[in-house]
Amino acid sequence: MQALIEARGLSKDFGGLWAARDVSFQVEAGEIVGMLGPNGAGKTTTLRILSGLLTPTEGEAFVGGHSMQHAQQEARKGLGFLTGDMDLYRRLKPAELLNYFGRLYEVPETTLKNRVAQLMNAFHIHEFGDRFCEKLSTGQKQRVSIARTLVHDPKVVILDEPTTGLDIMASEFILKFIRSMAKEEGKAVIFSTHHLDEVERLCDKVLVIHTGRLVYAGTPADLNAQTGKNTLADSFFQLVNA
Amino acid sequence: MRSHIIGTIFRKEMLEVLRDKRMLFLVILMPFFLYPVMFTMIGYVGKSQGEKLDTEKVTVLLNPEAESTPIYDSLKANATLDVKLEAFEQTAIDTMKNTIGVLVGDGYQSSLDSNRSATVTIFYDSSKDLLEERVSDIKTSIEQLSQNLLLARLNDQKLPQGFVKPIDLREQNIAPQDRVIGKIMGRFLPMMLLLFIFTGCIYIAIDITAGEKERRTLQTLFTAPLKVSEIIAGKFLATYTVGLVSATMNVLSLLVAMYIQVQLLSGGKADEAFSLPIGPEGWAWMALIIVLATAFMAAISIAVVLLANSYKEAQSYVSPLMMIIIIPALMSQLPGMDLTATTAMIPILNISLAIGAIFQGIFNVGHILIVVFFALLYAGLALYLASLTFGNENVVTGDKVKFKALFSKR
Repeated sequence: MQALIEARGLSKDFGGLWAARDVSFQVEAGEIVGMLGPNGAGKTTTLRILSGLLTPTEGEAFVGGHSMQHAQQEARKGLGFLTGDMDLYRRLKPAELLNYFGRLYEVPETTLKNRVAQLMNAFHIHEFGDRFCEKLSTGQKQRVSIARTLVHDPKVVILDEPTTGLDIMASEFILKFIRSMAKEEGKAVIFSTHHLDEVERLCDKVLVIHTGRLVYAGTPADLNAQTGKNTLADSFFQLVNA
Repeated sequence: MRSHIIGTIFRKEMLEVLRDKRMLFLVILMPFFLYPVMFTMIGYVGKSQGEKLDTEKVTVLLNPEAESTPIYDSLKANATLDVKLEAFEQTAIDTMKNTIGVLVGDGYQSSLDSNRSATVTIFYDSSKDLLEERVSDIKTSIEQLSQNLLLARLNDQKLPQGFVKPIDLREQNIAPQDRVIGKIMGRFLPMMLLLFIFTGCIYIAIDITAGEKERRTLQTLFTAPLKVSEIIAGKFLATYTVGLVSATMNVLSLLVAMYIQVQLLSGGKADEAFSLPIGPEGWAWMALIIVLATAFMAAISIAVVLLANSYKEAQSYVSPLMMIIIIPALMSQLPGMDLTATTAMIPILNISLAIGAIFQGIFNVGHILIVVFFALLYAGLALYLASLTFGNENVVTGDKVKFKALFSKR
């Protein structure tokens, strides 16, 4: 099966500070991959390189088989990307925002109309659809943000800490949706998080990044077996403290 | 570049602007009401001050020895002067409210009788407009008297009037009224217009660039399959449209306000005062220059404020930018500063001079074309700079965009 996401030797040098060093991995259709690492480990830098926001100093990123460095427009068409650094246009209503991004992704108008309706239903956005985005709660904003990420029905979804700041109900809602889009729609999903329980529940594979390097790529069970620990948390601490 | 993508970005920016009550008020509604109200108030205050200057009485102290002279009669004939025959100390005049001292020198009549000059001295505080006005009246009266005495002396000597005026120098202003008005308008309107355009452009430019960075919405655009040039074009068009609408509203409001004021002051003759020497061709050039000036301002506004990471930081760039506009605009009003092939290449100055020349109805189409070319060139350069800034990865990381790093791509 062809990998929908491929990081090939990604490195990023910020003026002498290497935020990522030789990071390589693949994610296939229907897979959910959790990216773990302490703050400043290089998770966000790696995800930004995958999305084309940053150019790697070395290496190359591929999304849907297209190089993010050499065929950026094509690669981005198949990518839905969300980080905590992204907010919503405060003076737009959720449906207006979804339509706006749908048009930027050149989704045909009839398809877009159906897609926006589908996402509004799936994320229960109708409940607050008449409000401007600046008036939404954190959880409501995150639902709209993820809907925005999916408006063009991308094959690849990258979510950087999608449940940060959300209460338990909102987090659960998001996690269920992540599972359904991978397992029912066959999307390749990477999400970074600090919540190891989320990774244990959802992820087929886990990537552990520490000081810019990928120190583990494999299943959570294999990680526990490799470290001789019983929980993912214990395995994670052993890896990053080694 | 895809026009439908640019159109989508443009429409979204305009929708957000139309929903931003603060910006609508600042850029469009406030000037629309501010100038008529401000100018009407200035008109009324000016009119009442003018009436006061024309009618308010001033005390004139005239030394008693002057009672028998025609000067006394001449001053008494002026209804705005309250003439009192009273000796005075010239230093005391300063302490008396609205008072002028007129001292007719000793031997007034004997000096005149012997064909010599009699002396009359006026004491007043020239820092007071009312006293200056009345002194002017007094001087006119005494000069008229002096002229009559001179004619009598010439008559006595059987000499013609030309004897004391070998050359009768005359001057006649042949400039039509509309050109004079055009010159006045051409002096102050270009600067006002440039400031209006700049004000209209800068706030939306800040909102959709540095404001977007601060509100963390810019990255979302960067992950969409868009070219930097398409994002810049959409944002530029929105800035340009608001700048143009704002400038139009400001100028219309200003002209309406001025018309009302002139109507008030001229007793309903504002139509004559407002005739300008601009034909259809001049108006067409003017429109083109304003359109290009707006394009330049929009481009330079975006290019500069994009360097800021926050709304507050971007606002700190407004004053220096405004100075960059005001100084060349002021330079255009220096004596002898005309639109030439050289000045037509200098940014801002060229636009200011071109608008001024068109207002006066005296312009060289070749020079205007140079202005058009350079305005386009500068707008293009500013947009290129903006695209370099947008394409820089420091915009993503939130670091300062350094000039050296401008040419390194994300």
